[in-house]
Amino acid sequence: MKQAGSSQENFSWKYRIQRGIRDFNKWTVFTVLILLFIAVPVITIFFKLFDGPGESWEHISKYLLADYLKNSLYLAILCSLITLIAGVFSAWVVTRFEFPMRTYLEWLLIIPLAIPGYIMAYAYAGFFDYGGIFSWLLSPFGIENFKLDMMNVIGLSFVLGISLFPYIYVSARAFFLTQALNLLEASRLLGVSETKSFFKLVFPLARPAIVAGLVLVLMEVLNDYGAAEYYGVNTFTTGIFRSWFSLEEPETAIYLSALLLSIVFVLIILEKYQRRKLQYTSPKSGRTSIDYRIQFNRPKQLVLTLLVSLPVLLGFIIPVIQLVQWSVRTFSEVFNQDLLWLSLQSFGIAFAGACFTVLFALLLLYFSKWNKIYSVQSASKLGVLGYAIPGAVVAIGIMIPTLSLDKNFIDWGWASKFIINGTLIALVYAYVVRFLAVAYQPLESSSLKVNSSIPDSSKILGMGNFKTFFKIEFPLLKAGMLSAFILVFIDILKELPLTLILKPYHINTLAVNAYGYASDEMVMHASIPSLFIILTALIPVIVLNKLLLKNG
Amino acid sequence: MDRILEVNKLTKSFDKGKSYALKDVNFHIDRGHICAVVGESGSGKTTLIRLIAGLENPDNGEIFLNNNLVSSLKKVVQPEKRNIGMVFQEYALFPHLNVIENVLYGLKKNKDKKERALEVIQLVGLTDFEKRYPHELSGGQQQRVALARALAPNPSLLILDEPFSNLDAMMRHQLRNEVFNIIKKTGVTAIFVTHDTQDALAVADEILILQEGQLIQKDEASKLYNKPQSIYVASLFGNTVQLNKGLKKAFRCPLKEDCCHAIRNENIAINASDCEYVTEAKILKRTFLGTHWQLLLKLENGENLSVVTNETVLGDTLKIGFNSKDVLQFDE
Repeated sequence: MKQAGSSQENFSWKYRIQRGIRDFNKWTVFTVLILLFIAVPVITIFFKLFDGPGESWEHISKYLLADYLKNSLYLAILCSLITLIAGVFSAWVVTRFEFPMRTYLEWLLIIPLAIPGYIMAYAYAGFFDYGGIFSWLLSPFGIENFKLDMMNVIGLSFVLGISLFPYIYVSARAFFLTQALNLLEASRLLGVSETKSFFKLVFPLARPAIVAGLVLVLMEVLNDYGAAEYYGVNTFTTGIFRSWFSLEEPETAIYLSALLLSIVFVLIILEKYQRRKLQYTSPKSGRTSIDYRIQFNRPKQLVLTLLVSLPVLLGFIIPVIQLVQWSVRTFSEVFNQDLLWLSLQSFGIAFAGACFTVLFALLLLYFSKWNKIYSVQSASKLGVLGYAIPGAVVAIGIMIPTLSLDKNFIDWGWASKFIINGTLIALVYAYVVRFLAVAYQPLESSSLKVNSSIPDSSKILGMGNFKTFFKIEFPLLKAGMLSAFILVFIDILKELPLTLILKPYHINTLAVNAYGYASDEMVMHASIPSLFIILTALIPVIVLNKLLLKNG
Repeated sequence: MDRILEVNKLTKSFDKGKSYALKDVNFHIDRGHICAVVGESGSGKTTLIRLIAGLENPDNGEIFLNNNLVSSLKKVVQPEKRNIGMVFQEYALFPHLNVIENVLYGLKKNKDKKERALEVIQLVGLTDFEKRYPHELSGGQQQRVALARALAPNPSLLILDEPFSNLDAMMRHQLRNEVFNIIKKTGVTAIFVTHDTQDALAVADEILILQEGQLIQKDEASKLYNKPQSIYVASLFGNTVQLNKGLKKAFRCPLKEDCCHAIRNENIAINASDCEYVTEAKILKRTFLGTHWQLLLKLENGENLSVVTNETVLGDTLKIGFNSKDVLQFDE
């Protein structure tokens, strides 16, 4: 038979190209266009590297770069420790043990996510300051005028860690809830103790999930600007800001951005690598929740309640108390019509940004499905990497090309002033790039829940891609789109570095307003806009968690 | 007779040629015929029908529907332009549309649209259920809605993917007969995928056997049963015992030793001395399986053999035998 020959022939270049021409359609083009649109910042930074560094680069690389690296390393290590201990421990305790208040603490452990790192930093700086709440608490013990200095890398690690540990808590808890019980029971039946089973079995198996959460934490740490700037810790992000605004040297900002990007990509590759090596087949189990929990005696149970309350106390209650105290003192000065107008602007920007981000996530998801070339389909996954790129880097990667585009428009006589740069267009564009993944993931998972034979049926019954989308997929995807929208909305509301660089001159957001007060040594006045952000962010955190619990 | 479907050298790989889901498959179906595609899971049967429906693009080969080229190396007609009806394994009803809306979905704008929908709903026996939503229907009813929806636009070819695998055994037989009565009534050409050979034997005019992506036999049901091309095909349609050297010796049967022979389990007679080839056997173990017994036997010359019988066998020894007309012969 000639089979050996024909199988070679089927995948010869001649046949592959013929099939490529056959399968190429307009969706292939649109998918690639969206990917390019998302990739503009990274491409810009890459090509601008060839223009050479700025004047201060030599100075920075000689005297400051080591500092940036050292601080980033300290931050990474300390934040990892804090978030791992708080996240994994509390996730295990709430899934495995019964104790008073457990059901409340289960979702209360998520709410520190509602407080952005920079607001956490303001609150704790005040809390531990001379005459702050902490020193007031100590005064009955005869300790007067106590101050815990937060303005260093350890303080920064603490505030970032305590606001970011829920990322690890959420992913670890999801794993423990769905996977751990059967394995643990098998292990216990084989005569291995509870503690030993945890360290020998559950923790190693949960590692991929935990590391995925940890990578998110590290990305957020690298992304932070407001907290590091306020605490005076030099990091890559503060360096980028300094080169851009104080030194006015875009070339230097680009070099720092490129370095930061390389670190981020190394992190992504490491994460993919550890996950690939640990592709365990997960036991398929009908039991998705732990219905049996270990019950200690009452005093021990209360200890558990206290231990698990600690991250909530540190990550939410203390900073909120501090902010509330400040807001009472500054209410008459800060709470006025301007603030309401500002909130309205902030919500409007977040609304527009979230709409466009969800739209682009939908386009990317469906265009790549409708495109029939597999390699383009898998490349479309790269579109979500924007989330890994720190906001300051995205901002600079968009600032430069939009600036030159606008200049060209004026030169060609198409416009009399800047129409992209310094306007909402550039800002919303940057939000789309940065938060595409946030919208993409809930959309993708809810589209995966729709059995693929349902859209297939629609096509076989004579409907094209668009009709199938509007008649079948859109109605079935509503819940996913809503949660995508809410998540992006909140992320934009909290966003600081990107907004600071790209926002139109006359427009402000709550985050920028809070940052402005804090930089003007009026941190108390930052409390009301901060509380506005936290309260808005709190509602969806609760609603989404309820939804997740229901679906689980 | 005119051909509704013709498939030439159809080939598909999902890993760039390392392995083939489907390889050089050729066959055709005539108008009005019902064709079953039988194979184990992973044999390529689902890939075959997805290629026919246009849901996947082939790596090579051609598909003709009504003598029109719809898939080839250079061209793929989109599924919505193929005039095919398909019933999916999990029915794939649109969950947010009720029965009549599901059935209306594929009908072109036309003033008789509603009438046609009601007609097929009546055909599948679901009148009075038009306003129900899929989740308010039983599995069998959902199956019938899926059939009505697929038949409504008068497709030139109806594809059914494992149509009965989600139903329990009782429902299965009843529904199988109902569904194929409806299909025969409409006269539509149909191709259906199954791993249950009983389904295939019961309703198909012709049966395709796929093994590891290759078409190994295509025949009418009775031919396939009586003249299987390989022991694999034979064993798909019931327990088959390969007559190896030792067994041939035990039964003293003068079959050539360089040929491959087999006998179906049901053709081995128990306590029969009137067969052409007979031997004595000792019962090592008997297992009660409800409708029948399974016996593990030791033959005179020490060979082991397992047979089934619906008689209750007494004693420790028995005579078993078979006739030469029941022996299946293969060329391998």
